[in-house]
Amino acid sequence: MSFEMWAEKYRPKSLSQMVNQKDIVERLESFAKSRNVPHCIFAGPPGTGKTTAALCLAHDLYGEVYRENLMELNASDERGINVVRETVKTFARIRTLGEIPFKILILDEADNMTGDAQQALRRTMERYTETCRFILIANYSGKIIEPIQSRCAPFRFTYLPREEQDVHLKYIAENEKVDLAKDGLDAIYVVCGGDLRRSINSLQAAASLGKPITSEIVYSVVGRANPADVHAMIKIAMDSNFIEARKRLREMILKYGVAGSDIIKQIHGELFRLDIPENWKVKLAEIVGDVDFRLAEGADEEVQLSALLARLAEAGYELKGG
Amino acid sequence: MYTAWTTKHKPKTVAEVVGNSEAISTLEKWLRSWERGIPRQQAAFLHGPPGVGKTVALEALARKLVMELIEKNASDYRTQEKISQFAGLASQYRGFFGKKRIILLDEMDGVYGNVDRGAIPAITKIIKNTRCPIILIANDFWDKKFVSFRDKKKYLIIEFKKPPASQVLKHLARICAEEDIFAEEEALKFIAQRSEGDVRSAVNDLQALAQGKKKLTYDDVSWLAYRDRKDVIFSVMRLVLYGKTCETAKQAVDLADVDLDMLFEWIYENTPHHFNVPSELAKAMEALATADLYRARIRKTNNWKLMRYAIDFMTAGVAMARDKSKPSGWVPFRFPQRIKTLSTSRAERGMKAEIGKKIKRRMHVSVAQAQKDVLPYMKVIFESNLQMAAGLTKWLCFDEEEVNYIAGGKRQAKAILKVMN
Repeated sequence: MSFEMWAEKYRPKSLSQMVNQKDIVERLESFAKSRNVPHCIFAGPPGTGKTTAALCLAHDLYGEVYRENLMELNASDERGINVVRETVKTFARIRTLGEIPFKILILDEADNMTGDAQQALRRTMERYTETCRFILIANYSGKIIEPIQSRCAPFRFTYLPREEQDVHLKYIAENEKVDLAKDGLDAIYVVCGGDLRRSINSLQAAASLGKPITSEIVYSVVGRANPADVHAMIKIAMDSNFIEARKRLREMILKYGVAGSDIIKQIHGELFRLDIPENWKVKLAEIVGDVDFRLAEGADEEVQLSALLARLAEAGYELKGG
Repeated sequence: MYTAWTTKHKPKTVAEVVGNSEAISTLEKWLRSWERGIPRQQAAFLHGPPGVGKTVALEALARKLVMELIEKNASDYRTQEKISQFAGLASQYRGFFGKKRIILLDEMDGVYGNVDRGAIPAITKIIKNTRCPIILIANDFWDKKFVSFRDKKKYLIIEFKKPPASQVLKHLARICAEEDIFAEEEALKFIAQRSEGDVRSAVNDLQALAQGKKKLTYDDVSWLAYRDRKDVIFSVMRLVLYGKTCETAKQAVDLADVDLDMLFEWIYENTPHHFNVPSELAKAMEALATADLYRARIRKTNNWKLMRYAIDFMTAGVAMARDKSKPSGWVPFRFPQRIKTLSTSRAERGMKAEIGKKIKRRMHVSVAQAQKDVLPYMKVIFESNLQMAAGLTKWLCFDEEEVNYIAGGKRQAKAILKVMN
């Protein structure tokens, strides 16, 4: 008996297996064929195959021993640019035995690096170009500094279109002998919207219940898996139930470790989708921006965000004509 | 003119001090040992609950031994410069009038560890070089920040205990005699018992009940409610949440016997339960957010002057938010919940980080992503499917504790591990 997370089990090994991002895959395949790779930036939303594409490229370049010529770093896990620089130095210093004279370093979440760290990274990239090629992975390429961007070939990944995601999920379901209903498939798309990693994780969690996967099952699983439901919290606050809303907020921060900056980002996103008069949205956006600024100054996440929730409760009350 | 009886009838001699005679004689012996040169223990740490007579005993001893008591409060040794000021005092044995000196650092509880980072080390350094006895007083000796004082070779540690009710009673009787009040013994016994060994509060109660009277009967005192120590924070909360003027609300800070961060937590926890008009609640929460912003700036810049603004907003700011709000019925004040949650979740966060690292190793994601995008789904799997969970446990090399956490309980975890083997 062996089980893995399906997102890993069904991760393509080679570029030829990649189901999506056709244009990108074609260009990468030409790199592999010519046995040369420039520094690259893979930018795009989560779950769209950036890391997979990088791993596949390495596989196609070096064959089965690709792991020896590949290093994965995650900017958000490494403490400071010095760690990155030291790791890169040791990794890049030793030449490869094969015919390809360079190794590949994947630097994930590169957009989380500060400007200074990126400047330092740029020098490291230049210094070791001969022996090491960088693939920077980011959600937003705009957060990568200009001088790095100009040295890299840019690749823009986009959310999977519905059909492509469906093909992939159906294939997994069939292989795992899971009964995936049509409305279950719909539900996964509604909830995960083209983020393949989340889609597959949802599928697997739903399958673990051992029942046919219907929309109902999907929603219940996703509900259980996402206690950090900012949308629900806003609704509760707008219902003028501040105390319950603050309780949810506290759980998110303390129990589930959600960062205040992530919560504020989500609130901002939700704000403009709320069913409230347009001028209110602008009013509230100003408060949201203020809170964001205060968090950056080092203020307490829960205290600041709950002041915002209290404003939402006030807004909800006034809109009901209270 | 109003004089607090706690001051007016403060014991003048060692014999008059209520209880703790053993502690006092230990302290006296140590103070006398300075006559023969500097002893190995260069400071004494007196600790015990509030109102049991730590300071009073020392004052009486100083009088007896004809020593000059130089008293410093927490606010005097908050900063490094202020500490160095009294370091000068400690370098001489005698004062201007030839009297031998004792330096007293009272209310050490007020030096809070994280903020006054430099204070404790600076104090220990002064003690090392002192030429006259230094005495530290605090309520909670076992507080983490005092850990460096636990070395019995270097510090004389003396615990003051709550004196028995019978001794408190004697003290109250003495005061009544001096005030020319006839008091029924039952009445005084009642006050003494209710005080739970806090002599100061017993005397305060006596004054409140008996001042201006010729006679104090049991009926006069029986209504006196059980004086729970929690009462203090509760009356503080009442001032902040229902104070009519800025001044009343701001008084809370002087009254509260907790530090400002803790006071903030109390106010922050309780405010929403005492406002029912949403716009007024929003104002109150905004005031707290503003106070918090000042706290952040203080942390960042070490500019303690800003504290007064933080205080303004967390007290007066909250009180003035009220216009029409009334709580629905009687709402009890509650202990800050998030302090409870914080301590339990710290261990949990460590566990989550370990799990995140294991997922990262296998799944090409960052630790944060693993926690956010993978772990929640894994939890669903572990709660619902033993086979799949067992397989994943093997694949990711989770240990038993981690399985416990992911499966959300020992029972489910056991079942998973059983399937695995």
